Formats: sequence, structure tokens, C-alpha cells
Amino acid sequence: MPKRRDILAIVLIVLPWTLLITVWHQSAIAPLLAIRKDDGTETRHETGPATDSKEYCSQDKDIVEVVRTEYVYTRPPPWSDVLPTIHVITPTYSRPVQKAELTRLANTFLHVPNLHWILVEDSQRRTPLVTRLLRETGLNYTHLNVETPRNYKLRGDTRDPRIPRGTMQRNLALRWLRETFNSNSSQTGIVYFADDDNTYSLELFEEMRSTRKVSVWPVAFVGGLRYESPKVNAAGKVYGWKTVFDPHRPFAIDMAGFAINLRLILFKPQAYFKLRGVKGGYQESSLLRELVTLSDLEPKAANCTKILVWHTRTEKPVLVNEGKKGFTDPNVEI
Amino acid sequence: MRMRLKLKTVFVLYFTVSLLGLIYALMQLGQRCDCRGHDMSKDQQISQLRGELQKLQEHIKTSELAKKTDVPRIYVITPTYARLVQKAELTRLSHTFLHVPHLHWIMVEDAPQPTLLVTDFLAASGLTYTHLHQLTPKDRKLQEGDPSWLKPRGAEQRNEGLRWLREMGAAAEGKEAAALEEAVVYFADDDNTYSLQLFEEMRYTYRVSVWPVGLVGGMKFERPVVEDGKVVRFHTGWRPNRPFPMDMAGFAVSLRFILTTPQARFDGDAQMGFLESSFLQHLVTMDDLEPKADLCTKVLVWHTRTEKPKMKREDALQKQGLGSDPDVEV
Repeated sequence: MPKRRDILAIVLIVLPWTLLITVWHQSAIAPLLAIRKDDGTETRHETGPATDSKEYCSQDKDIVEVVRTEYVYTRPPPWSDVLPTIHVITPTYSRPVQKAELTRLANTFLHVPNLHWILVEDSQRRTPLVTRLLRETGLNYTHLNVETPRNYKLRGDTRDPRIPRGTMQRNLALRWLRETFNSNSSQTGIVYFADDDNTYSLELFEEMRSTRKVSVWPVAFVGGLRYESPKVNAAGKVYGWKTVFDPHRPFAIDMAGFAINLRLILFKPQAYFKLRGVKGGYQESSLLRELVTLSDLEPKAANCTKILVWHTRTEKPVLVNEGKKGFTDPNVEI
Repeated sequence: MRMRLKLKTVFVLYFTVSLLGLIYALMQLGQRCDCRGHDMSKDQQISQLRGELQKLQEHIKTSELAKKTDVPRIYVITPTYARLVQKAELTRLSHTFLHVPHLHWIMVEDAPQPTLLVTDFLAASGLTYTHLHQLTPKDRKLQEGDPSWLKPRGAEQRNEGLRWLREMGAAAEGKEAAALEEAVVYFADDDNTYSLQLFEEMRYTYRVSVWPVGLVGGMKFERPVVEDGKVVRFHTGWRPNRPFPMDMAGFAVSLRFILTTPQARFDGDAQMGFLESSFLQHLVTMDDLEPKADLCTKVLVWHTRTEKPKMKREDALQKQGLGSDPDVEV
């Protein structure tokens, strides 16, 4: 006849040990579960909050259009463990010259070691043309897309400086970088905004690789001049802007004229290009003023005396002979 | 009585120990998320292995490329002239050419003598090149304000390129002469866009090979129409009755053929759009054309044109004597 007190005693003895054992059991199994899940997904797709109960390990990202980077190393130079990665952000949109522009841009990028191309399409869906092109280049790339809402899009060919083109696409790329890279990680990186119709020398990429905060250099064919450039004093510091068009802008520089250290981008997660209410020519300032001051700028290209990037623009091809119904086979991709 | 006291303390002791142990286990649980560490190290390993794989592949490729001088050489003749975007155009063109094995760039300037800009550029390009120059006579030159199609451009420069090739061909001996037998000649304007695949398509040309060209002739693309492996007509929206209604970028000629046909040259006085025909009609008939690019169904070259940059402010400054530093090469 076991006494109540004895039963209580037995329970008190056994209870903590059973609890202990179950806890240890679970903690031993969980890491194994996590590894198996990783093996099953090669290229990780963010599809919403993780469904397993281990909230600490889940990543609560909810961007659906993002596709993880595919590291395809075939043609470009071998990836170095020492060189900082240059993340090149290129907004692009469909038009007849698109494939040509991206082709010759890729031919340039294929010479640059440790280059990661973030191509952001202004479209509702990632187009097969760009998807195929990226895959065939062999570059290290990330393919994103976001459609600019109709009221922000430029109509036809008129360049309306009040509506900055490519802003939403660049911002999406910045967001992707912030979600992909942990600000505590030791990953070194440089962020550069490269439009798909400009011309870049290979030397430019080596100049920007040593950026600590924000580096700047001259750009040809902008602002109605042979080139615009930052003004650099004898001490090697930027003190102004050699431009005719509004030289009193906080940063009177073209998108192609600066690069930002990735750490700075991650450190200031609120810094984006301003979408609305931006005066013509102030788009670059809208981002840079949240990141640096004038005195922090690092002049490159021999103290801003060499031209390493040209703001070329490609003529819109005359397609008069296509007529209303289209003369050429629409299945042939151009 | 003593026994019971001892048991009680044992109990209490035991209870506290197990409670502490439990709390300890719970704390461990909170930090358990080094399963992430597992993820990261796996990713790192994969990335490292990929990097090593790529290094090895690159090594194989370079040692293959070094042997690749046994593929036919491609001579690319590019006429060029000084204007604001010249250096930019040549720069991005050179980036494409640097990927093409066994390419020899023949640059012909429309100038009385070689310019410093092009000389320095070619020297730094890393390419195999020949630097020539040939000035277009004034009456054939486009004047400021003339539309680009008014006079044929680059005829004299391309002829100069052909002249140099013929001179070199005549002087070549032994192995070099054998290499020239297989070489191909392509006329590449400095503002077009070329895919890397195009050069592999043209490399094996017996006489004259042809393919589509994008964004030309007022259409998305122009191309030869191929039936049963032969070119039967040309798909173009403009003057399809020309002997060869093609763009300069749409064909390549074997060097052997050029060397054996000394009368083949471009006619600088040719009518608009007939420049290509003036050259090709010395060489082939439509029947002999070799269709490339998947029987002329793929566009591998685009006739892009670069806008003339707006220099309003520069011009205004120049008038005041405040123009940008002319020593800075653009």
C-alpha cells in the first residue's frame, strides 16, 4: 500500500529527469533537421516566413520576386578571396536595343574579377530574353524585377527630368543587398550604379575597389559638357563640383560617377533614392546626402583628372519599315 | 528521526540540483541556433569548392586558349574617325574583342596621320593590332549637318585595310602564309554591337559567309533568306533589288579569296546603300553565300548608333574661354 507521500516523492524525483531528457532529446534532433532542409534547397527561394517552429533560425523575408544569386563561374576571371566584390546595379527595360546594350555591357563585365551583376528589370515579370542572356554570359548575377507604376513611367521618348527613371529598380537592389548581407559580416563589397547604355573602362572598376565610404570621379558627356568632375583641392579633398548645371546641388554628380562601400549601405538601412518630389539632377543627392558629407568623399581617377566612364546614349533605332503590322518575324529575338 | 532528517536534506539537495540542471538545459536551448552556423559553414564550403572548381576550369581554359592559335585568324577592319564618343566606342569594342581568340584588329583612321588618342589606346588595349590611316578626300566627306546616309562612309579606310592585307599576304611565307590561307576578314564599324558567338560563326568561311543584322534598314533585323541551305533572297525593307542588300556587319570574307581577287574593293562613289554590293559583286554570287547563325535565323550583331552628346553648355563656356580642360582626354 504505497503511501501518498511516497508517491509524491517518486514523482518529484522522476519529473525533473524526464523533463531534462526530453529537452536534450529535442535539442539534439533539431540541428539535424535543419541540415537536411538545407540539402533539399540548392538555390534558396524566399517564400515567406519559415513554417517550422524553430523561429530563431527562420528568415522572415517576404519578397516573392527575388531569386537567389546563382554563382556561375565559367568565363569571368577566377573569383578571388581577397578582392572586394563589386556589386553592379543596373536597371533595364525592354526596348529594341536592350539585348545589344546588355550584350556589350556583359562583354565588359566579363573582364572584371569579383563582379556581381544585379540586373533589375522594369517589368511585371522577369523576361525570358534577359533570363537567357544572363545565364549565357557566365557572369555572377542576381536577376530582379519591379515594375514602375504607370504614372511614374516616362511617356514615349521625352526625357522628363522630374520623373527619375530606374529609381524603383535601384532601390529594390539596395533592399536586396540589405536583406542578403548581414551588417556584422566581414564581407567586403562596393556598390556601383551602372546604367545599361553607358561605357565603362576596366580601370574604373579597379579604382572603385578601394572605396572606404564613397568615392567619386569625373564622368564624360553629362551636364552638356565634355565631362563633369568633382573639384579636388591640393589636400586631395573634394570641395565642390565642376559643373554648369546647378553646381550647388549637395552632390552635383551623375549616377555613374560614384561608388559606395557596401558596409555604409548596410549601416544606414534607411538610405534610398527618393522617388517623389525630386528635382531634375537631384536624384543622386537624395541618396548620397543620407550616407556621407562632402569631406568624406574619396576622389579617384588620379584626383579626378582622368575620364574612365562615358555617359554614352544609344540612338533609338528607326523602325519605319516594320510598318503597322510588323514586317519581320516576331519570333526572332533581337 | 535522524534518518528522516537526512533523507529530507538529501531530497532537497537532489531537487535543487535537478532544477538547476533543468534551467541550464533551457539556457542551452536558447542558444541552440548555431544550426545557422551549420548552414553558413556548408554554404561557405560549397562556395569555396565552386571557387576552386572555377579556378581549375579557368586554368584548363587558358592552357587551351594558348593552344588555340591553330584556329583561323579573324582580321577585323574598323574605320574610325575623331569625334567626342570615339574613345568610348573603341573602349567598349575592345572589351568585346579581347574575348575572341586569335583576332587581329586593323584600325584605319580617317585622318592625315595617326592620332595620339588612337595610338595610345591601341597600345594599352592588350589586343593584336595594326594601326593605319587614310584620309577621305574632301568631296567625299560628309559635311556638318549632312544626314549620315548622304555619302558612303569608310570606303577609303576599308580599302586601305584591304591594301595592307594584300601587301602582307604577298610577303608572307611558310607557316604564316599557311595561316593566312584560312583567315577571315570582317568589317566592323566602331559603333555596332557584336556578340561573342558571331566571331565563332564567321571563323570558318570558305568564300563569303552571311547572317542577319539587327536594327538596320528601318527594321528590327535584316537577313538573308535560306532554303535548303542556300541563300535564295534577302529579307529587307529597303531596296531589296540591290545585288547584295546587306549591311557591312552582315558578312565576312575569307582572306584567301581577297588575296586572289585583287580587284575587289569598295567603290567610294557608289550610290547610297550600294557600298556593300560594290565590294561583294566582285567576289560572289548569291548562290555561293554561306549562311551562318543557324541558317540566318539568329541575330548576333546589332547596328547600334550612338547619340551625339549635347555640348550646349560646353560650347557656351568655350565662347567665354572657360571650356573644360582640353588636356583631359575624353
